[in-house]
Amino acid sequence: MKRNQRFRSGLVPSLNPLGFNLERWSYVVHRVTGVILVGYLMAHIFETFQLGGGATAWANTMSALHSLGPLEMIGLWIVAGSALYHGGNGIRLTMNEVFGMFMGKPILPVYPYSPTSLGRNQKIAVWTVTALVLVLWVWAGLYLLAGLGVI
Amino acid sequence: MVEPVKEQDGSLMKESWNMLVTYATAGVLVFVLTFHLLLHSPLVGKAFEDTLSFGYATGNLVYYQFVFGLLLFAAVIHGFNGIRVMAIEWLHPTRLAWLLNLVVLVLMAFFLAVGTTTLIVVG
Repeated sequence: MKRNQRFRSGLVPSLNPLGFNLERWSYVVHRVTGVILVGYLMAHIFETFQLGGGATAWANTMSALHSLGPLEMIGLWIVAGSALYHGGNGIRLTMNEVFGMFMGKPILPVYPYSPTSLGRNQKIAVWTVTALVLVLWVWAGLYLLAGLGVI
Repeated sequence: MVEPVKEQDGSLMKESWNMLVTYATAGVLVFVLTFHLLLHSPLVGKAFEDTLSFGYATGNLVYYQFVFGLLLFAAVIHGFNGIRVMAIEWLHPTRLAWLLNLVVLVLMAFFLAVGTTTLIVVG
């Protein structure tokens, strides 16, 4: 029982962003974007299920989505950003965890305990992913706004 | 005396195998999801609105049925396993781990059934 209480006490502190380092931020954003994507996946599976009902059912689904107005494109933009970040950061994580890239060499734990996994190469990898995602996300936003007729 | 770490109760497979499945489905998703997004990009020579038409959507599902099937299975397995991993990291369920695994498996089966039905009916 004591063991469980000790573990549960970590939930609230884990949501406090103060003191997060770069890796911890990427960890949090990876999970937040993952939840957004799973939510969209469930909705998207139901949405495409309407294709089986024929052209009328699909037109009704599309008109229901269009009735959301700009929120539809804003939602798609958020989903696009989530997919871009989750995918890009996922590739970085795979390079880390499967191939051991950017991780640094293990050292003895010496104060002030700076993690070797967050060395120069790791920081470059994180910022490269972030920059690429931001560029692609802006491009996706312009494309979706053009589809909306805003620009 | 330190107690040995036990496998999560109620797991159908070792967590190391689960992670292997997570990495494999992630690798598949990078390619298949990119392909799916490109079908709605300017590269296909259509306005975004036109890529949402009934004819274009059903045509894609018919021509690329295998790709969309792969996308469905990879996304559902990767996504719901990810939610399970998050729940384990945050809540550390011990006695109710079997319930978490069961709920995730039922959700996976449900959404795979809905998606597969779409692919079969339209394709």
